[in-house]
Amino acid sequence: MNSKTRQHNEPILSARNIVNRFGKQEVHDRISLEVMPGEIMGIVGGSGSGKTVLLRTLTGLHRPNDGEVLLNGKPVGSIGQAERASLIGVLFQQGALFSSLSVAQNIMLPMREYTDLPVEEQERIAAMKLELAGLSPDSGVKFPSELSGGMVKRAALARALALDPRVLFLDEPTSDLDPVTASGIDALIAQLNRDLGITVIIVTHDLTTLFSVCHRLAVLIDRKITVATLDKLMRSGHPWIHEFLHGPRAHGAMSARRQSHGNG
Amino acid sequence: MSASRSALTGTQVSSKQAGTFSPTFAVSGEGDRLTVDGVLNIHTLAEARDALRHWLKQRKTAHARRTLDLGNLSGLDTPGALLLCGLQDKGIELTGIRSEHKTLLDLVCGLERKPLPKTESVARWRQLIVQVGRGTDSAWHDALDIITFVGRAASAASHAMIHPETLRLSSISRQVTETGINALPIVGLLAVMISIVIGYQGVVQMRSYGGEDFTINLVAVSVLREMGVLITAIMVAGRSGSAFTAEIGVMKAREEIDALKVMGLEPMEMLVVPRLIALVITLPLLTFFSDIMGLLGGAVISQSLLHVAPLQYVDRVHQAIDSSDLFVGLIKAPVFAFFIAVIGCMHGLRVRGSAESVGRETTRAVVKAIFLVIVLDAFFSILFENLDL
Repeated sequence: MNSKTRQHNEPILSARNIVNRFGKQEVHDRISLEVMPGEIMGIVGGSGSGKTVLLRTLTGLHRPNDGEVLLNGKPVGSIGQAERASLIGVLFQQGALFSSLSVAQNIMLPMREYTDLPVEEQERIAAMKLELAGLSPDSGVKFPSELSGGMVKRAALARALALDPRVLFLDEPTSDLDPVTASGIDALIAQLNRDLGITVIIVTHDLTTLFSVCHRLAVLIDRKITVATLDKLMRSGHPWIHEFLHGPRAHGAMSARRQSHGNG
Repeated sequence: MSASRSALTGTQVSSKQAGTFSPTFAVSGEGDRLTVDGVLNIHTLAEARDALRHWLKQRKTAHARRTLDLGNLSGLDTPGALLLCGLQDKGIELTGIRSEHKTLLDLVCGLERKPLPKTESVARWRQLIVQVGRGTDSAWHDALDIITFVGRAASAASHAMIHPETLRLSSISRQVTETGINALPIVGLLAVMISIVIGYQGVVQMRSYGGEDFTINLVAVSVLREMGVLITAIMVAGRSGSAFTAEIGVMKAREEIDALKVMGLEPMEMLVVPRLIALVITLPLLTFFSDIMGLLGGAVISQSLLHVAPLQYVDRVHQAIDSSDLFVGLIKAPVFAFFIAVIGCMHGLRVRGSAESVGRETTRAVVKAIFLVIVLDAFFSILFENLDL
């Protein structure tokens, strides 16, 4: 893919001096973030700290009051729709599957719009994407309302992967899921990152996801951002970060990390 | 959809010109050994499949093992890998795989690669029969549901009447505001418009008989007996009936109805009865208001087309109508209100799960309510005719 022709130390996504405010309330105050190709970046922060707004800004759905977002070296707003569709894939929190289309049709929609492939070919690819996302192709004929929570996430992930994007944005991929299903999603994210070389940006509260999958974390606190590896953040003196990473919930997640690192 | 699609095609063309989306794919070599060049991704897939299909057909009888060299392949994505895995399954050896493509190929080739299940297609004439059957069945169930729900609503409402302490007055008054007072401007405007429409038609038609003065009688009688109440009921069905369905439907979808039941509160008493009573109160009042506005519209028409002064107009209206005309119109209003509210609430409670279902039920509620209003109006016309009212 293109990544091979690019310099490896060039960020695939960089946000510079982003300012977002709603009315008088300032959510982001000149924050900057760089994501390298092949990286898994976790975005965390307390409720209302602007995680989703940041995600929307990075994907070009929200225009920041100031600052710019460069995707693959180009301002995200100036990228054409077709190119953007093959650059980024987004897994929305509720899945955002089109309810009037079957799962397979959901996955085939971007292919139908952006390629001239015959329908049988698209169906073959859709079946493969479903399997990649850990679903049986049999679920392709189902409608989103017939799917369980975990299946919705996987189907939405399969759709986000439809055009083999370079960057995958995941908004709370494991929320509302039971721990077994959530671990399955975590493993899937790690696998897609490893085998497809996809850059992944995850907004999540799930400490297990953060500890076992993410390479670096971006912490949103007080309208600013702190980006570091988990180990560095563990030693951070900031009270919220300390509470977040050393709280009672963090201990269980920490052992999961040891386990996954032991296996991998 | 078509607009957005053309917009998409537009950008696609421009980006193709910019060279972003023109990855190339080429096959070279002869006989059993082929070399692939360029990028094999979703955009070059069709091209690649065509080129290779040709090759596969050509060399069907070959004994030697066919190989495909991927050493020059500069880009590969999952659909491309899927194609290559398919070739591998057909016994073609893939050689010179670059390390960066190895993991991707292993991942995709490792999948079961089952096809999507086939959906059975039914012949068109059978579809038609199935649809007619389904439609009849659901109409039958609908009728049963309406009858059941009307019964339950009537029983709950009469229970509330007998035990006025269970009436939720604040809820009723909020609904009265919502369905009545907030509807005044639109209902009034509509009533004026309708009487102007009737007036214009009347003047034009009756002029040829020299009876254009009777337009006043036409407007006054038709507004009071039919148009006032009908237009108001249709407006309220669209405005408040749909709101009932949407409000209750969203509550149902968010499990709020279940929460009420768990607390031992009856949704029928909490949600349906206040709306029912409120609408039965407001629709007659709105109808009366709409009658007045309709007559005002008639005054405007008489002044401008017939040059009848307002005071004269009042006199003429007084001669043209008697109180039974007003009551024939008003008596229908509570009946319409009852059915509009019952159907709105019934469809709200029928919502299942998703937000999509709220929209569907709302549409059904409005269609059914307006349909029922007009059917009932026809029945009333026959009834009043027989009663000589």
